[in-house]
Amino acid sequence: MDRYYRKRLIPLALPAAILFILVILLPFATGVIYSFCGWRGTYFAGGEHFWEAFVGFDNYISVFKSSKFRSAFGYTIAFTIVAVISLNVVSLLMALLSTALHRGSGAYRTIYFLPNLLGGLALGYIWQFIFEIVYSQLIFGENGLIRIPFFCNMLQDRWKAMFALVILVTWQMAGYMMLIYTTGLNNIPKDLSEAAAIDGAGVWQRFKNITVPMLMPSFTIVFFLTLSKCFMLLDPNVALTDGNFNTRLLATQILRTTKDTNPPDYGLAQAQAVVFFILIAVVSLTQVAVTKKKEVEL
Amino acid sequence: MSMESRHKTLQIVIHVILVLLAVYTLAPLVFLLFNSFKSNNEIIASPVALPESWSFQYIANAIEKIHFFEALGITFMVTFFSIVLLIVVSSFCAWAMVRSKSVLANILFMCFTAAMLVPFQSLMYPLLSLFESLGLKNIYGLVIMYGGFGLSMSVFLYHGFIKSVPASLEEAALIDGANLFQMFFKVVFPLLKGTTVTVIVLNGMWIWNDYLLPFLVIGNQEGYRTLTLELYFAKLTSGQYGNPWELIFPAVFVTIIPIVVLYIFLQKYIVAGVAEGAVKM
Repeated sequence: MDRYYRKRLIPLALPAAILFILVILLPFATGVIYSFCGWRGTYFAGGEHFWEAFVGFDNYISVFKSSKFRSAFGYTIAFTIVAVISLNVVSLLMALLSTALHRGSGAYRTIYFLPNLLGGLALGYIWQFIFEIVYSQLIFGENGLIRIPFFCNMLQDRWKAMFALVILVTWQMAGYMMLIYTTGLNNIPKDLSEAAAIDGAGVWQRFKNITVPMLMPSFTIVFFLTLSKCFMLLDPNVALTDGNFNTRLLATQILRTTKDTNPPDYGLAQAQAVVFFILIAVVSLTQVAVTKKKEVEL
Repeated sequence: MSMESRHKTLQIVIHVILVLLAVYTLAPLVFLLFNSFKSNNEIIASPVALPESWSFQYIANAIEKIHFFEALGITFMVTFFSIVLLIVVSSFCAWAMVRSKSVLANILFMCFTAAMLVPFQSLMYPLLSLFESLGLKNIYGLVIMYGGFGLSMSVFLYHGFIKSVPASLEEAALIDGANLFQMFFKVVFPLLKGTTVTVIVLNGMWIWNDYLLPFLVIGNQEGYRTLTLELYFAKLTSGQYGNPWELIFPAVFVTIIPIVVLYIFLQKYIVAGVAEGAVKM
């Protein structure tokens, strides 16, 4: 039987392989090569072919010298850390609370999940209005419900805008992550917790010694998803501030580099993109390795 | 307080917290609904109140300005064909990979898995220049690109599920004289229904709402813009006149209606699909 399939592997896998090569592999490989060239998008600086426009590590040196890139780099890391923490805390709490209910948890899940289905751009426009008018005037403004200057005009300051982005992302994605945690929580056998309760373990002890270790597989997935989604975030960033006030995330920075430079320096943008890839690969692989190890130790 | 009533109080407290969170989740969407019926002045003057009158003029205006029905059609076609392409290509490939158990299949699988780490930004410029030189910087190219980007995750999901399905059914079908395609579509594919729902939901959510890829491939070419693109350009140009909100609110509103309606009818499948996907990752 294995032989029957083995003979047919190539024709069956061929369409997928062609798509993969055309859309991922080939562009990725050329991208790495072009990041070492004076590439201008439609032509090469210094010749007709890329090897005539080879500039060595010049693009990479400019990348790390560029204040815009360094700013976006720091901003992305700071945003990702805060957003991942916020998302995990909120969604885990929501999952813990809703699984403690006797009934009605399904309805809450359905509502919380809704924002995930809507586009980052559309939501960004709604939230832009909420931050500028509702937050700044009605709720936290001078004549508002509670005066909290931090929540006023959040989109006009680099670090306040970062928290605005965290608020938006948490609002949008918490329902998704809650769903994953809920599935994980429901898979924990009830008798474990009951046995511990009979032995006299308190709520906190049961959470720490039973729920958390049993939930490790869910942590791995949620961390992976939130990390990669936050690192690569683009649409809400474009919609909320469009990178003004020094609020570009790396994805926005790479997209805008070709507009910042004249003639458009695609080589430089591509070098930033390669650095971006390495950053994401290293962070994601480390994260998966660390959380997987915790799973195994169980 | 007795154990019983303490328990009851706790349940009520949890309900209260969760209801507040639900209100917080829905509030921006309720604003959106109200403000889609207001003039710019009314939106600024009373942003959270009910509209003075439920007049559809702003919604009608938005539908015209963003070429709503045309863009809806384009978005639907792109999403539909991308997902069909993805389902066919990735289920075939995953099936063949699981069953053949060869070194080549392992190498392929590793490539697909590794590709999940590649951010779109790191290959978008070369991808565009490649597709432009192939004459595919258009709506067809867009579908192919989505096929390529959704591939890794879809193959991964199908692969995970097919591993748990014994090959004996297929062997029986083969002995009964079925050919390869009959075997796949009559025996294997029906078993993959759950995974297919997950593939549809996860890819549909992303492709329908995607902004960057249509922006790079279609740009502001008239007649081929997706809903997200129309929205982007509406916002971009409306800013010039200083009163964008009476266009933006109804425009966002009409673009999300199809999804919300779909969600109301299919929420059970959508939520289950996403939850399944997360477990199999």
